Amino acid sequence: MTFRCLFILIASLTACDASAKQTLTVLTAYHEEVVAQFETAFERDHPDIDVKIIWRMPHDALPYLRQRNQGGVDVYWSASLHNYLQLKQEGAWQKLKLDRDGLPEKLGVMPLIDPDGFYCATEMAGYGFVVNPGYMKKHRLPEPKTWQDLIDARYSGHIALAVPSRFGFAPLMIGSVLQQYGWERGWALFSEVAGNAQLLEHNRGFITDVVGSGKLGIAPSLDFFATSARANGAPLQLLYPEPVAYSPAHIAITASTRQAQAARQFVGFILSAQGQRLLFHPDIRKLPVRPAVYADKPEGQFDPFAAAVLHSPVYDPSTTLPRLALQNALFDLFLTERHDQLKPLWQRLHELETQNSRSDETLAEVRHLLTAAPISLDLASDISVQQSFEKRIKDADADMQAKSLENTWRSDISRKYQRAEQLLAAWRH
Amino acid sequence: MRAGKLLMSLLICLFAQTAKSENAWVTDDESREAFAQIYAGVGKELSDLAFQGRNLFRQSWVIPPASDIDSAGLGPLYNQLSCLACHPKNGRGMPPETPDQMMRSMLVRLSLPGSNEHGGPRPHPVYGDQLNEQGIPGIPGEGRVRVSYQEIVRMLPDGETIHLRRPIYTFTDLQYGPLEPEILYSPRIGPPVFGLGLLEAVSDSAIMQLAERGRQQGVNGRPNWVWDSEKQQKTIGRFGLKANVAKLKQQIAGAFIGDMSITSSLHPIENCSLTQTACQQAPSARQPELDDRQLKAVLTYLRLLQVPAKRAADDSMVQQGERLFVSTGCAACHSPSLQTGDFPEMPALSQQTLHPYTDLLLHDMGEELADDRPDFEASARDWRTPPLWGIGLIKKINGHSTFLHDGRARNKMEAILWHGGEAQFVRTRFEQLPSLERRSIIRFLESL
Repeated sequence: MTFRCLFILIASLTACDASAKQTLTVLTAYHEEVVAQFETAFERDHPDIDVKIIWRMPHDALPYLRQRNQGGVDVYWSASLHNYLQLKQEGAWQKLKLDRDGLPEKLGVMPLIDPDGFYCATEMAGYGFVVNPGYMKKHRLPEPKTWQDLIDARYSGHIALAVPSRFGFAPLMIGSVLQQYGWERGWALFSEVAGNAQLLEHNRGFITDVVGSGKLGIAPSLDFFATSARANGAPLQLLYPEPVAYSPAHIAITASTRQAQAARQFVGFILSAQGQRLLFHPDIRKLPVRPAVYADKPEGQFDPFAAAVLHSPVYDPSTTLPRLALQNALFDLFLTERHDQLKPLWQRLHELETQNSRSDETLAEVRHLLTAAPISLDLASDISVQQSFEKRIKDADADMQAKSLENTWRSDISRKYQRAEQLLAAWRH
Repeated sequence: MRAGKLLMSLLICLFAQTAKSENAWVTDDESREAFAQIYAGVGKELSDLAFQGRNLFRQSWVIPPASDIDSAGLGPLYNQLSCLACHPKNGRGMPPETPDQMMRSMLVRLSLPGSNEHGGPRPHPVYGDQLNEQGIPGIPGEGRVRVSYQEIVRMLPDGETIHLRRPIYTFTDLQYGPLEPEILYSPRIGPPVFGLGLLEAVSDSAIMQLAERGRQQGVNGRPNWVWDSEKQQKTIGRFGLKANVAKLKQQIAGAFIGDMSITSSLHPIENCSLTQTACQQAPSARQPELDDRQLKAVLTYLRLLQVPAKRAADDSMVQQGERLFVSTGCAACHSPSLQTGDFPEMPALSQQTLHPYTDLLLHDMGEELADDRPDFEASARDWRTPPLWGIGLIKKINGHSTFLHDGRARNKMEAILWHGGEAQFVRTRFEQLPSLERRSIIRFLESL
């Protein structure tokens, strides 16, 4: 009873007290387990600042930040380069004006800071192959070292390939391969890898579930899905191809913030050695952009700066951003919609190529029919075509245009696959 | 005496056999994902639903309006953005580290003296039955609760000194007016969420039998009779720290509305009181924000979560601790074995033997743990015996070792020493044990 009286006294005395704390509003798409680590550590170091998190996926964050007063957001912290570029054009950011000592400006060709200083990278995630070592051993599969390796017929039925229109991490991954291998060769590669793969068309489960459970053995993916799962005990390994492609996350301070100083403290904390080391937490396992902290990396943690000495990254995500929506549609037309047809075609072609000379004209024609890029790079680079696909969700005219193009391309792809089927059927007889 | 020894040996044999269980509801996973393993013995449809539920449980929710309609609905007033925030890695939350920090995985329930029309707590007319510390932009959170501690020292009969900390709560920044002097409040840590399907499948009659058995052993456990909002009748409560919720579905929907202000078919109205006008005028995502398909997915996920297996069954200290756990009387309430009944809602949960170390009953835990906030038939001093399964993995998985309803205990020893009321005599026996034997009980708990 005494304690209750004490409480009542405290409650009534403090009920109207205004807090001296500042509230810093951070818009992010980071998962709770990431946010919790940073929020707790930052508030521990800055007890005068409360971090208020607003969570939105990038497509929902863009209109939110376009509201009056930018929705009250002080800091935008997310893996969505598209939004940073777009909003920079609209004057949404103020210059960071941070001490960047120890923070490189580039990793290979990939910029880690906006050249005008409006936003910068806070971490990276690398694209690699999640493998289940037990599964690989059981099926006597060699470790793939490149995307090219995945076309090997020995991997047939062992690969899980995420469909980019359904898995948020996959569009940039597909884009990185198309840039690294080139448009024509890249699509040829995807066709043949898809022939070996089971396509993952819904994202109810995690990609690590599929490989960790031993249903399949290999899945191209972002590294932290696997490295975090591994750090939590999952029987997984992440193999990085050479060179590695990365998806960076960035941070920016809004132009309209009234908490500029607190915002800079938050950004400074994220980029500090202390903040960057948090990325090594088992539930996070992202790649810091401050090279010095890799001296404290957990065992087995990949160091992108060390890897870049031998194989400098050649993928710059900003170059493929404008065509991601188009690319997703092409992937579905070319591979997802016709996967049931495509898979046996590749199996049959691989069998016949093994039995016969690869220079056989008919088999070469079949290969050409299956691997020809769905559209030319020139057409894919056409801004009006790209925008039809990017805007189709909200713009009926753009959607009509995109559908019209899709119908044309669908017919073309269908014709090629039918011709390939006919040629292989004729071969059999 | 001999019969008692025989019974104890039999019990120990039974426990030992469960160390590496063949029960498919028990996982041998000891990793940081041990609380997140999904029972695989159901068909693809239920498995897919559980995966959807897992996504919903883990995802952060979005303030409406938003184009992500399936994840929109957070606020206007709320505590956290996701289920996972209060149940990190499906395990235990913890109190703030310092008085300045917000409650990240903890909340404070509120009520006024008296009861509502169904016998439950009487909500505060402005703040409702829970203080929502956060609000969407433009709508202030309801206030803050600072937690500080008073250190107290307890000396055990053998001279060992144990430091305990008694929490002191201070309400600050109350944005919707002061709280009345008679306000009742109860701080709650987010508890683990695995094994809930199994607990739900324990039959009412089994719980009543446990109460009767307890009476024969000199403890006064009793079920909490609570309002089942779906059946519109009183029934035995199983969920919540005071067994104040009847069904898992109701517990989930209650957490969605209470902690995140996300409406569902069970709670179709936003969590705003009549005087919180800005809250009432804020946009909702849709009605309900958590649709029945999503609610079923979360329910399926939680029902299908496996429980961790006991470990270190060959460790002699664990074996000794297990014997002492029974002989000192801990097992009278922390019942080692329960049997599920027929559970038509998910037949795979039927007729399972489980080892949760709870009797699902309310027990008087004494004045020091009392929260002054009755909840249906649970008095201020009553708490439901919390399950102990998985308790040994909390530090590995959640990175802390705080226990009890408010996280005041910094380790298992402190948690035991806070037991009072009906458990006072057991605590006294524990305190009188030689130090090594006390530690063997702790070691046993760490094997769970």
